[in-house]
Amino acid sequence: MKEAILKIRNLKVYFFTRRGIVKAVDGVSFDLVKGECLCLVGESGCGKTVTALSILGLVDSPPGRIVGGEILYDGLDLTRCSAEKLRHIRGKDIAMIFQDAQSALNPVFTIGDQIVEQIRLHLELSQSEARGRAIDLLKEVGIPSPEEVASYYPHQLSGGMKQRAMIAMSLSCNPRLLIADEPTTAVDVTIKAQIIDVFRQLKETRKMSLLFITHELGIVSEIGDRIVVMYAGRVVETALAPELLGSPKHPYTSGLINCLPDIRQERGRLESIPGTVPSLINPPGGCLFHPRCDKAMAICRKKQPPPVSVNHGHTVFCHLY
Amino acid sequence: MIKGIKHLARRVGGIKNLILILLATLLGLTLLLDIFVVERIFDPLGYLYLTLGIVFLLYVAWPLYHSRRLVQYYWQRVKRNRLAVLGLAFILFLILLAIFGPLFTTDPTAANFEQKNLPPVGFTTSESIYNPQTGQFITKVISGTWEHPLGTDNKGRDLLAMIISGARVSLQVGLLATGIAVALGTLIGVISAYLGGKMDNILMRFTDIMMTFPFFLLLVFIVFIFGPSLAFIVLVIGLTGWTGVARLIRSEALSLRTREFVLAAKALGASDGRIILAHLVPNVISLIIVIATLSIPGVIMAEAALSFIGLGDPAVTSWGMVLRAGQQSLDTAWWVAVAPGVMLFFTVLAFNFVGDGLRDAFDPRSSV
Amino acid sequence: MLKRRLLEVENLKKYYLVTGGLLYRHIGDIKAVDGVSFYIREGETLGLVGESGCGKSTLGRTILRLEEPTEGKIIYRRTDITKLDMRELRGLRKEIQIIFQDPQSSLDPRMTVGQSIGEALLIHGVKDDRERGQRVSDMLQRVGLEAGQALHYPHEFSSGQRQRVGIARALAPSPRLIIADEPVSALDVSIQAQILNLMLDLRQEFSLAYLFIAHDLSVIRQVSHRVAVMYLGRIVELAGTEEIFINALHPYTEALVSAIPSLRRRRARILLPGNVPSPLNPPPGCRFHTRCHRVLPICHQAEPHLKDVGNRHLVACHLHGV
Repeated sequence: MKEAILKIRNLKVYFFTRRGIVKAVDGVSFDLVKGECLCLVGESGCGKTVTALSILGLVDSPPGRIVGGEILYDGLDLTRCSAEKLRHIRGKDIAMIFQDAQSALNPVFTIGDQIVEQIRLHLELSQSEARGRAIDLLKEVGIPSPEEVASYYPHQLSGGMKQRAMIAMSLSCNPRLLIADEPTTAVDVTIKAQIIDVFRQLKETRKMSLLFITHELGIVSEIGDRIVVMYAGRVVETALAPELLGSPKHPYTSGLINCLPDIRQERGRLESIPGTVPSLINPPGGCLFHPRCDKAMAICRKKQPPPVSVNHGHTVFCHLY
Repeated sequence: MIKGIKHLARRVGGIKNLILILLATLLGLTLLLDIFVVERIFDPLGYLYLTLGIVFLLYVAWPLYHSRRLVQYYWQRVKRNRLAVLGLAFILFLILLAIFGPLFTTDPTAANFEQKNLPPVGFTTSESIYNPQTGQFITKVISGTWEHPLGTDNKGRDLLAMIISGARVSLQVGLLATGIAVALGTLIGVISAYLGGKMDNILMRFTDIMMTFPFFLLLVFIVFIFGPSLAFIVLVIGLTGWTGVARLIRSEALSLRTREFVLAAKALGASDGRIILAHLVPNVISLIIVIATLSIPGVIMAEAALSFIGLGDPAVTSWGMVLRAGQQSLDTAWWVAVAPGVMLFFTVLAFNFVGDGLRDAFDPRSSV
Repeated sequence: MLKRRLLEVENLKKYYLVTGGLLYRHIGDIKAVDGVSFYIREGETLGLVGESGCGKSTLGRTILRLEEPTEGKIIYRRTDITKLDMRELRGLRKEIQIIFQDPQSSLDPRMTVGQSIGEALLIHGVKDDRERGQRVSDMLQRVGLEAGQALHYPHEFSSGQRQRVGIARALAPSPRLIIADEPVSALDVSIQAQILNLMLDLRQEFSLAYLFIAHDLSVIRQVSHRVAVMYLGRIVELAGTEEIFINALHPYTEALVSAIPSLRRRRARILLPGNVPSPLNPPPGCRFHTRCHRVLPICHQAEPHLKDVGNRHLVACHLHGV
């Protein structure tokens, strides 16, 4: 059994707002094994982004706070780290890519300069060494004529190129873990394919661990090794990718898979999950999915379902099992 | 009959416009009568009040009443800002003072030299009086009385009465002049933004020219020719202060114009007029309210400054005038300068707090 | 029996003038839509697919004359609407409606949803308040909301609900054709499915025709009878839905179809190199030749036109039918 580089145990992140306490993440646990790509899947509001942000301590602190649980990176509990230590880890050990490349890149600096700045922040390299490394990174993510592109400003690049540049920037200090928050959501279909390819190559050549957050199940099947499905702040199912997509056990997961307009499906009505995501301030009791579940039983209203291992590496949180 | 009215209303673009036209005609007639036939029915300030009052009722109060739920929603957000609530309380106090104060005090212009330079209640001053018979200076202690709670100035005028009168003036000028400036600025800004192109250019260049206009000089000129009058001050401030408003409103309207819901309205077949009135204006109203609230202190200070240097209306006691009087007796009767100064300070602060609170409440991105 | 043609677009062009220099001289055109022709029959759904910048949204808006066409004809039920004046156009607005992508920005935040939906009715003659109110309630219920919610403001709804309001607003004047500009792109997957189902139900009930614009091919497949693929302002392929997916002829369509991430692994993905060229300066010859994996020498010089290669399948490519 390969060892885990990241272990999240019972993480709870609450937002204290005027209208009440928003339980954005309410008891999430999973492991990320070295060298694997773990996909955190769920729809908007399920807490996947907040989980990722809390790994690096980037949750907006006046309203939000980590109220419980641990995030163990290589044995070190990140929730109890000093801000100083976290800053060292950010970018160097654990890097993060955000959804919108446009706003993550500073418009008044060239791509090359931004990557160089990132490099020199963490590593002791001279200007020219850092520059050379930056160009290598750009090449690695598949940007053509990297020397030229390094002198471009963000607005001179297309969407796909910007996305790649951002990936290059995150790789600048050879992180061991890369967190990607919906990197393919705001992009066109053909660029999506290119970006997924970049990630796949990176995973292979660098043996990097990848935490990939997305709501697109199709992407997950291309790049994920294991999948964690989240709903309303909790994990509902975890499994290896082919297993989860082939035989999903939780009603939400299967509902999600079924309402995808897949290319093989017949034309006509899609199956959909009725209702909407519950309020995170006043969640329903018991299993959070029960108001929308067509297989709900009496116990689902009262008790939160415990984890059940239905297969090797396949865990479900559902009273049906 | 009802049908006839409805039809007429449709022709002019709505029942509100119809009422506006009717009342405006009525007012115009009254004005004409005033000038040519009868004695003063209303003074000039009164006319301004009525006009602005009508416009406000029809185009601000009525729509707000229609969207009560929305108003409630925003009010909740404003309430959470403590400073804004305090500011609002102070403004309310000021309004009550201005309306009911004069009932309880004497005439602010009544000079009474016997009682000059009285200190406020609880304070004492001393005065050296030369007794010619004994050839010595006797120190006489004068203390304040409740008859003049804030004391008197060097002409024996009751300070409290003057402050109350000043509150009245400041509020009047503040509301009226801002009202004129905002109404004019909004009209020009919205039309300019919506029409775009050449018209936008022309209107904006006109705005630029007006912006460079020296309003102070204009005021001196008018005072020189017509004599100082509060109505003129209000008009001049209003007619020269609309430029900033126009620019701000125009840029907001410009960004609104390209928003999808305007496109959606066009797709539904809405006419330009309808888009401007039913979509653009309601969406800039929040900005208008904020701009207006934040302009009032500037206007009040402008009027105070004018009165301070002597260009104000001598028939009316305003805070600036009191400051002017107090300036001369700072060593002997400091309270005369302090009272209006303090009032001005808090008034400006109050409006600024409220304006900021409103701006935060209206901004969807701020987490109030 | 084929239904008659509701909308017919002939060689439609929309250019945006680019000016430069101190004197605002005309230095070029952004050819957003550069000669597009197609038709939609009554009750039919034509899917229009393409990536960002291909001009599909502009096309949708130009058909409604929200943008004025530079050239070409738009024939709606035998009337060329490019020739209508503003007043006549207003009458047309009853028949062709639009649903926008972002439900948040397409609703006036200061109007209740009842007012937004009722606006359409008000403009087209339903002056009586009570009648309007009744129809607004009906519309709300028809799209799956409650009549009482007419008094609520857009910010009080979720984005799926807002999109339903947008649909209700488009339906209010009883149109025949609805241009749906990426109606589900901004929504979560499960809400997407709900909205798509709603649109299909409404299509059935009201015999609506849709011009369904999207970038997601799998969504297009779900709702369209025929599909048109756009690239850089031109239609490169147009055929029946099944035909396009099973038998994509244009290399760009092939790449699009293969790029769809799918739950079940299938054929290898075709990766397109480079980026979409600028519409200010499209490549000579076939616009796609700079990225095409099956490019021929002739593609650099001559521009291919849409040709019917049988089975009502149109392609603009030198590999086929020339």
